[in-house]
Amino acid sequence: MYLTEVSTWDMVKKLYRYKLNSYFGVFTSLVIIQILSILFSLNGTGSSGGSSDTFEYNMNIYSGTLILAFMMGWAFLVATLITTKAYRYDDSSFVSNRTASHFSNILFLFSASIIAGITVYFSYHLFLSVVSLFMKVRVVQADTLTPIQLAQGITASVLYIFLFTSLGYLTGMLVQVQKFFVFVLPALFIGALIIDGNLSDEPRLLISLGSFYGLETSFIVFVFKTLLTTGALYGVSILVSRRVEVRP
Amino acid sequence: MNVVEFTNVSKKYGKSNAVSKLSFTLAENKITGLIGRNGAGKTTLLKMMAGYVKPSSGNITVFSKDPFDNLQVSANRIFIDHQMSFSPLLTLKELLITAGRFYANWDSELAWRLFDYFSLNPDQNHAQLSKGMKSTFNMIIGLAAHCPLTIFDEPTSGMDAAVRKDFYRALLKDYLNHPRTIILSSHLVSEIEDLLEDILLINDGEKYLHLSVEELREYAVGVSGNASAIKELAQQHSLIHQKDMGSGRMYAVMKTEGAAKQALDQTRKLGLELTPVAVDDLCMHVTSKSQGGIDSVFN
Repeated sequence: MYLTEVSTWDMVKKLYRYKLNSYFGVFTSLVIIQILSILFSLNGTGSSGGSSDTFEYNMNIYSGTLILAFMMGWAFLVATLITTKAYRYDDSSFVSNRTASHFSNILFLFSASIIAGITVYFSYHLFLSVVSLFMKVRVVQADTLTPIQLAQGITASVLYIFLFTSLGYLTGMLVQVQKFFVFVLPALFIGALIIDGNLSDEPRLLISLGSFYGLETSFIVFVFKTLLTTGALYGVSILVSRRVEVRP
Repeated sequence: MNVVEFTNVSKKYGKSNAVSKLSFTLAENKITGLIGRNGAGKTTLLKMMAGYVKPSSGNITVFSKDPFDNLQVSANRIFIDHQMSFSPLLTLKELLITAGRFYANWDSELAWRLFDYFSLNPDQNHAQLSKGMKSTFNMIIGLAAHCPLTIFDEPTSGMDAAVRKDFYRALLKDYLNHPRTIILSSHLVSEIEDLLEDILLINDGEKYLHLSVEELREYAVGVSGNASAIKELAQQHSLIHQKDMGSGRMYAVMKTEGAAKQALDQTRKLGLELTPVAVDDLCMHVTSKSQGGIDSVFN
C-alpha cells in the first residue's frame, strides 16, 4: 500500500472545516450571551438629570460597551473550553498533529471573533431600537458613523474579542499542562490587583493595561498592538502545549 | 521493508514501567496479534506506535519516521480503540463523511455497506451509542480508512459474539483485498488465532516472544502422567507450567526446542502422555505470575 503525503496547511483546512460543524454550540452560546447582554444594557451606563421650577429633564446614556465586554468574556471561555481534553481528543481521532490542531483552533477562534464582532454591532442597533421603542424615551440621539468609522469600529471589536480568545487559550493550555494553575492563575491575578492597590493610593494596573489599547488614537497602531499581543499569547500557548502528550 | 521498528523502548508512568526495553519490528503487509495480560503494556505500546505518547527512552520509527506528533505518520496510520472521541454534535452519517475527507484511501462504499449491515442509525450521535455499537462504528472507520498501518486496540470490547465473528471475517476479507500492516491487540487469543500471521506476546512491559502462529503451536508440549517422572523430566527442560492433577499425577507444559525435543520423545517410554498446547493456553501459561495458577491461592 502506498504512503500518502499530506501538507500541514491542507490538514489545518480540513480540521477547521470539521470544527465549524462540530463546535456549533459555540455559536448558540454567542446568541444567548448577546441577548443577555442587551437585557443588562437596558439599565443604561449612566444618567443625569436636573430640574428647576418649571421643568425637569432626565438624560440616560446607553452604550454597546457592555455587549462587547460580555463578548470578551465569552471569547475567553470558548477558547479555554476548546483546550480541554474532550475537544483535543476529537482532533486525534482523525489525521492531525499538534501544530495542525493549534492552527485550526486559532482559525476557528478568529472566525468566531469575526462573527462575534459583527453581531456586537447588530446587537447594539437592536438594543437602540428596543430602547427607543419600549423605554418611554422622547428623544434619542445616537452617533452617526461614516462607513470608514463603522468598519474601524467593527474591526476593533473583532480584534478585542480575538485578543481575549488568545488569553483564554493560554490560560486553558497552562491548566492542561499543570492542574494547579486552576488555583495559581486566579490567585496571581487577584494578588496582583491587591498589591497594586496597596502600593499606590490609586490602583493603576488594569487602567493602564486597558488604556494601552483603549486610548490608542491611531487605528493602525492599535491594530498592531492587539495583533502582536494576540500572536505572542498564541505563540506561548503552542510552546507550552509541547509538554502535554497528544492523547495519554 | 519494516513498517514499525521499536529499539529498546521504555515508557515510565511515575515510578512504574509500563513498557521496558522493548525491541521488535513489524514487517509490511502482515497481521500481527499483540497479546498480553491486563496491564502488560499493550495499550501504551500501541499509543507510542500511533504517535500519541512519547517513549521515555529508546527509539521508535514508523514508516522510517519518528511517529510522535508526526502529521505524515498520522495520515498513514489509524488507531482504533474504545476511547476514540467524536464530537457529540455530529451524527454518525456526518462522522463517516468527515472521516472520508481525512483519509486518502477511504473506501466510502465499504463503509456504508458495513454501516447498513450492522444496522446503525445514520442520524444517531456517537455519544448515544452503546459500548458495543461504539466499537462497531469505530471498527467501520478503521477498516474503511485503508491506512497502510492499521492499529486496533481491543477492538471487540463490548461487542457480542456474533458481531465479533463478523468483525474478524470482515477484517480478513478486507485485508485480502487490500493487504496492509495490521496490528490487533486482544486477550481473546483463541478467537483471533486463525486470523493472525504473527503473535507478539508481551508480559510486564517486556517482549516475551514474537513468533508466527505456526511456530507458536509447536513451541511447547503438554505432558501428563506420573508426578515423579515428570519432575525428573522437568530438570532437563524449561518448565512453563505445572498443575497437580491429584492421586500422584500431574500435568506440565514444557518448551520443545532443539535437543530437548528429542529428549521429550523419549518420554513416551516413561509412560507419559504428550499433548499439543493450544496457543491461548500457552499464552496464558507463560504470562502467569505463579506456576500453580489460581489453585495455589486456595491450597
